[in-house]
Amino acid sequence: MPTMLRPFADWLAATPLSKLLQEHLWIIPTSQSIHIVAVSVVFASACMINLRLLGVGRSGRSVATLSATLIPWMWRGLVVLLCTGLIQIIAEPVRQFVAPVFWAKMAMIVVVATMTGFYARTARGHRPLWDTAFALLSTLLWLAIITCGRFIGYTWSLYA
Amino acid sequence: MSLEPLWVAIKAWPLSAAVRGDEPGTEWLFPIIETLHVIALTLVVGSIAMMDLRLLGIASRSSRVSHLSEEVLPWTWSAWCSAALFGSLLFISNATTYAGNLQFRLKFLCMGLAAINMLIFHLGAYRHVARWESGTPPLAARLAGGLSLLFWIGVVFFGRWTGFTT
Repeated sequence: MPTMLRPFADWLAATPLSKLLQEHLWIIPTSQSIHIVAVSVVFASACMINLRLLGVGRSGRSVATLSATLIPWMWRGLVVLLCTGLIQIIAEPVRQFVAPVFWAKMAMIVVVATMTGFYARTARGHRPLWDTAFALLSTLLWLAIITCGRFIGYTWSLYA
Repeated sequence: MSLEPLWVAIKAWPLSAAVRGDEPGTEWLFPIIETLHVIALTLVVGSIAMMDLRLLGIASRSSRVSHLSEEVLPWTWSAWCSAALFGSLLFISNATTYAGNLQFRLKFLCMGLAAINMLIFHLGAYRHVARWESGTPPLAARLAGGLSLLFWIGVVFFGRWTGFTT
């Protein structure tokens, strides 16, 4: 997949919009900073819900209250992540498209977002086995997503 | 008094060299520690934001502030200690550069301001939390929440900018 997309990445990098984003040197760090703040909202919310599903931490709100409060914030955070992520893709398309960890990250985001979407409608702390599986898988996926995101910058030049 | 000799000495530690990737087999140590730092700091900022948004009256309005505090703050402190540990390892790897970096200094200024803000809130409005925790918080609490959010976003921004300027 990465080699197939190389011509597209090169074309995108040469577009006026991409050039504009590259020329203003403050845009990429600012976009990345907003990206990290949004990761904080989404990941901390996911961890709070997942830890409660796993029964860690005694005091606090029920799974139902916690989900009703935090899942809408997770979707808001995800919208910000998609917007800032898109800015980073347009500004540096080659860097993203050649890195296998970028594609791993995208695939895992689709899986965890779908899982959370279904979970938000169904599970409410009544099915212990499913809840435990969801909580473990969701936490692991978010950890892997953050790790892959951070490693795009460290590995892309190995493939470019 | 200049701390420069101290930073030079710290940078010369074998542990600093290892984090820097100077020893054989340690090439990936810095990215790994940085990833752990990012994971910990997102938990710090995310959990603090939950409290701040409650104090601002924007989120979790049905929860009592003291309950939310008991629920969230243990995670905030554990995550903060982890972020500080991993952050210290990143710092020693290139102590001389980080110590002199403007963005790095501004990050710690923001964290200091966040600490003072938290202290004022706990010695002030939070002492009468039982009076207001079920409804809209008083101005002092809303101000504390807003400032905290601002300072922590500042910590993230200047932290990320440190990576671009060192």
